[in-house]
Amino acid sequence: MSIKNLASLSRDEVKNLFSSIDTILTDCDGVLWLHMKILPGAPDVLNKFREMGKRVFYITNNNVITREEFCVKCDKLGFTSTKDDVLTTSYLTACYLHDIGFKKKVYVVGTSGISRELSRLGIRSFGVGPDPLISDVATLVMKDFKLDPDVGAVIVGFDEYISYPKILKAASYLNHPDCLFIATNTDERGPSFINDCVIPGTGSMVAAIETCAGRKPFLIGKPSTYIIDAIRKRYNVDPERTLMIGDRCNTDILLGTRCGFKTLLVLSGVNTLDDVMNWKQSDNEEDRGLVPDYYIGKLGDLLPLLT
Amino acid sequence: MGKRVFYVTNNSSKTRDEIVSKCSRLGYPATRDNILSTAYLTACYLQDIVFKKKVYVVGSKGITQELDAAGIKHLDVGPDPMCSDVASLLRNEVQLDKDVGAVVVGFDEHFSFPKMVKAATYLKQPNCIFIGTNTDEILPTEFPLTVPGTGTFVRAMETCTNRKAFKIGKPSPYVCEAIIKRHKVDPKKTLMIGDRCNTDILFGTRCGFKTLLVLTGVTTLGEVHQLEKSSNKEDQELVPDYYIDRLGDMLPLIS
Repeated sequence: MSIKNLASLSRDEVKNLFSSIDTILTDCDGVLWLHMKILPGAPDVLNKFREMGKRVFYITNNNVITREEFCVKCDKLGFTSTKDDVLTTSYLTACYLHDIGFKKKVYVVGTSGISRELSRLGIRSFGVGPDPLISDVATLVMKDFKLDPDVGAVIVGFDEYISYPKILKAASYLNHPDCLFIATNTDERGPSFINDCVIPGTGSMVAAIETCAGRKPFLIGKPSTYIIDAIRKRYNVDPERTLMIGDRCNTDILLGTRCGFKTLLVLSGVNTLDDVMNWKQSDNEEDRGLVPDYYIGKLGDLLPLLT
Repeated sequence: MGKRVFYVTNNSSKTRDEIVSKCSRLGYPATRDNILSTAYLTACYLQDIVFKKKVYVVGSKGITQELDAAGIKHLDVGPDPMCSDVASLLRNEVQLDKDVGAVVVGFDEHFSFPKMVKAATYLKQPNCIFIGTNTDEILPTEFPLTVPGTGTFVRAMETCTNRKAFKIGKPSPYVCEAIIKRHKVDPKKTLMIGDRCNTDILFGTRCGFKTLLVLTGVTTLGEVHQLEKSSNKEDQELVPDYYIDRLGDMLPLIS
């Protein structure tokens, strides 16, 4: 199947494509904005999708804010949204525990973005905030730390207060095979650069805990397909009539391929057309899951084709 | 019996002198020259490659004191907690030292996000050397608790830098190179004794030593038999030549 450049399709072809779509899932950083600067034309395109009667969801691996706070951020950048349009991994993690009827306590290595979403769904948690080593490791192990028997899950998200005591506690809870191990996402680095600094991402915190716990987590965010389970439980969505728009093949497009969505890669973010062509020619079947159905320079380029 | 004995440990938090003290307290005679610890070997490695710049250390004084002894410059270790928020940290508080040419990651009980940012940002430069003292995932456990080992910090940093660290400790071959080079050891006439197949025995096999597993520590005999039966070639490297219940059981056999 060849990859089609949306911008080179006729208006009728574009019209036919969108008449076969009811739901649009869009990644945010690299598609709608880049490092907090709006990508031109993106707000208009989303508004146009809504005018055409499509349901639009914002999908983000961000787990440090609640859905409402995300809406405020969208609003500042010129995108309309309500909390029901937003799927952050903090919210989806809470959905997952709710969906499996989880009744115990959660130890969170992460921010209040997670604990507040958990609390909204009536799930008890603790662990957020600073937890530095006060004395020494021996004292921590022998005296200071006692396992809470009511903990049934460990969630790992982005945590700027990551510390040795937190890693020790998470791994200790995870010694029990019945204790769930959940990671919000595995992005290795944050999406932005400030002052040329590398921002370690959730993936590095997850790697730390995976290593000493000797276990792999259940992954909530892209490219894990939990997102589509969560959406279908809550909204009437048909995967075959769904379009996934993203800038990153190994999360956004891969998610789309796995769920049976149509997929559109925008070239305004992480991956280039060369990357895609390499994967297309790869002998490795897994690589071919990274190849989108369509691509376009940036989302705003769709506007003339839709009007 | 005229055999040279070396103590080989992946511990990166202690200097050789501190290990000598510990050995002596426990009744094992030792001098600095028979200790091969990863903090010391890290300094050896940097000397071997004629490293002249500065080291950013995510680790303890065990490492910095060995670097001092080898005349290698480094930044300070110790707590480096979040004081404000991520944006302020990145905008104002990360002051990188232009003379840093290597990042060493060892056991660091004060591991923190600011340290991760600094280490990862230094390692953005491809010619900044990335060293991990060892990859032990956990320290001998105090069940039901798990005590994270240096491997935890090394994996975290490999993940956010998308780079692999040069590993110093067992089972990496550097220890072998250091022993052979500095102490003129003949691998064929060397015996490695350890309790952990995936570090000690694997290390011994790779160096061409004879290997003896003691059953007083991590690996059980059951696990060894499983490895023996495995069709996986890599597992075969973890199988020792000999085993014994405990080291003390050798005494009647050699006297």
